[in-house]
Amino acid sequence: MDNTFSFDGRLKTMTIGFMVVGVICLALTFFMDSQPDHVRFWSNILHNSVFFTGISAMALFALTAFISAWAGWFATIKRLFEAYSLFLLTGFILLLVVAGGMWAHAHHLYHWADPSTLDPTSPNYDEILVGKSPFLNKGVFTFLGVGAVGVWYLIARMIRNLSIAEDKDGGALDHSFHKKMRIWSAAFLPIAGFTIPAMVWLFIMSVDAHWYSTLFAWYNMAGWFVCFCAFTILTIIYLKKKGMLENVTTEHLHDLGKYMFGFSVFWTYCWFSQYMLIWYANVGEETIYFRERLDGFPVLFYANLVINFLVPFFVLMRNDTKRKYGTLIFVSIVLIFGHWIDMFLMLKPGILKTAKEHAAHSDHGHGDHGHEHAADHGGHAVEHAAEFVSGFTMPGFLELGTFLGFLGLFLFVFFSRLASAKLQPVNDPYMMESVTHHT
Amino acid sequence: MASGKKEVLYALYNDETELFAAIRAAKAKHLDIMDVFTPFPVHGLDPIMEFEESRLHIVGFVFGALGTLTAFLSMSWIFTRDWPIIFGGKPYWSVPAFIPITFELTVLFCAIGMVVSFYTVCGLGPGVTNETLDDRITDDKFCLAFSTNGKSDGEVSDLKSFLNSTKPFEVNAKTLSK
Repeated sequence: MDNTFSFDGRLKTMTIGFMVVGVICLALTFFMDSQPDHVRFWSNILHNSVFFTGISAMALFALTAFISAWAGWFATIKRLFEAYSLFLLTGFILLLVVAGGMWAHAHHLYHWADPSTLDPTSPNYDEILVGKSPFLNKGVFTFLGVGAVGVWYLIARMIRNLSIAEDKDGGALDHSFHKKMRIWSAAFLPIAGFTIPAMVWLFIMSVDAHWYSTLFAWYNMAGWFVCFCAFTILTIIYLKKKGMLENVTTEHLHDLGKYMFGFSVFWTYCWFSQYMLIWYANVGEETIYFRERLDGFPVLFYANLVINFLVPFFVLMRNDTKRKYGTLIFVSIVLIFGHWIDMFLMLKPGILKTAKEHAAHSDHGHGDHGHEHAADHGGHAVEHAAEFVSGFTMPGFLELGTFLGFLGLFLFVFFSRLASAKLQPVNDPYMMESVTHHT
Repeated sequence: MASGKKEVLYALYNDETELFAAIRAAKAKHLDIMDVFTPFPVHGLDPIMEFEESRLHIVGFVFGALGTLTAFLSMSWIFTRDWPIIFGGKPYWSVPAFIPITFELTVLFCAIGMVVSFYTVCGLGPGVTNETLDDRITDDKFCLAFSTNGKSDGEVSDLKSFLNSTKPFEVNAKTLSK
């Protein structure tokens, strides 16, 4: 049995090609931006960086949760989990770029990062942001938001090292490596429970700095988990088509399909709970979030639900669709794209609003038109959002190209990590259970 | 259920791997298995027993869809035609507010519908008593049973020696009253 994956040939060329497309698109976005401060460029970087970092965080979450739960079924595919989780290092660097851009005043993605909002003499003075400033500031953003990703990576690295050491030095009855992995997993889970939501709040939710939702972090994590399952399914099918992973059977794919189905429903549950409570309570400062999206982005808003709920729900409901390559590939691709759109819808309206306000302040000068400042009142924003802004109202070709670039980077890191260790763990104590796994 | 007495020859096994091996051996010999009893649901039994795919999930879907329709349509009728009330300034036909109840009734109809269908098909239910082949199959033993109705002594002893060859915990014969 060929137990190593070599990352070369067409696959490598393809991922590098994707990255080249991405770089070209980013460069084009940088120079062709219709908005001031290259906000389209920066928002695309933020969008894709957070999206793929989140997916690899969910890979680590799944790995550690399964190890902590003494799960055996996934042992034969755990190298894929590990390889996805090691993208966290790249994600860390990407998010560091976003944070660095903030320190260098290169972008104005975040309304709260504008120091004039905290200055009582400034027309931009914003009491709500002052109240939130102990959490929403550059220091917390960098050290908690980006730093957390670094900590996750270190834990992913530790588990990976133990896993490789087990291959080399572990015996069939030697559980010592696995016990250490269990300790690291148990350490990661509570850390993840606090830091993943914090990272989501800082990077995603704070683009609408006045608005907050308690459910938001779970909603994001559910979406990322679905994408992680989709990526794992797609790569398993790819490797099986290449004649590798012969121990992975339809049963493993069936279980991953069930996870993808279940977490799609959980994502919908979170989405709907958030929507319904805000709709029901009808408090202006909360409903503005959905008002902006329904007025400015009605197609994406409803398409989001159809793609991410109705498609997986009705396609994956049957037993056999979770066991066939065709339906799994179709739903996985649709869901990855769907959750990318979902994140587009979380970020772009808020970023666009901040950009418009920022431009308005710069035009008006300081002090003279303080009474026109309408940062926290919906009316202005709704008017603005209703007009078509390329790269914001709908993902354009540049957004898709950038997505392709980051996808190429993600897969490049994944496949090169996958190639750096044996494709199947050799001395994993659960290997036998995984190979004989059936549902 | 056929009336009349039913003579059964059965073997008990200590775990499901032994049971699986015995079933595979019996299938290879084209023996007519009456039934298999396990103390808990065992994964992978259906394909080995060559059962058709269960239709219970179709029943579940139909009952679930029935629940969805019942909840949604009745709420729509009640709150727009029968007794319209304005709640918190919302329109009469407030779809988001109906979703949780629609969801609950879908689950309820689906669950109860499946239980009732399953019990009906299996002849189970309150007040029904079915004779147990062996009390230990409700505890920790796995059972492979053959009907010996109308079988000659020679065939029965062949069957017995087959069962003994599959390393059972023990082999017994029993006559059920129905």
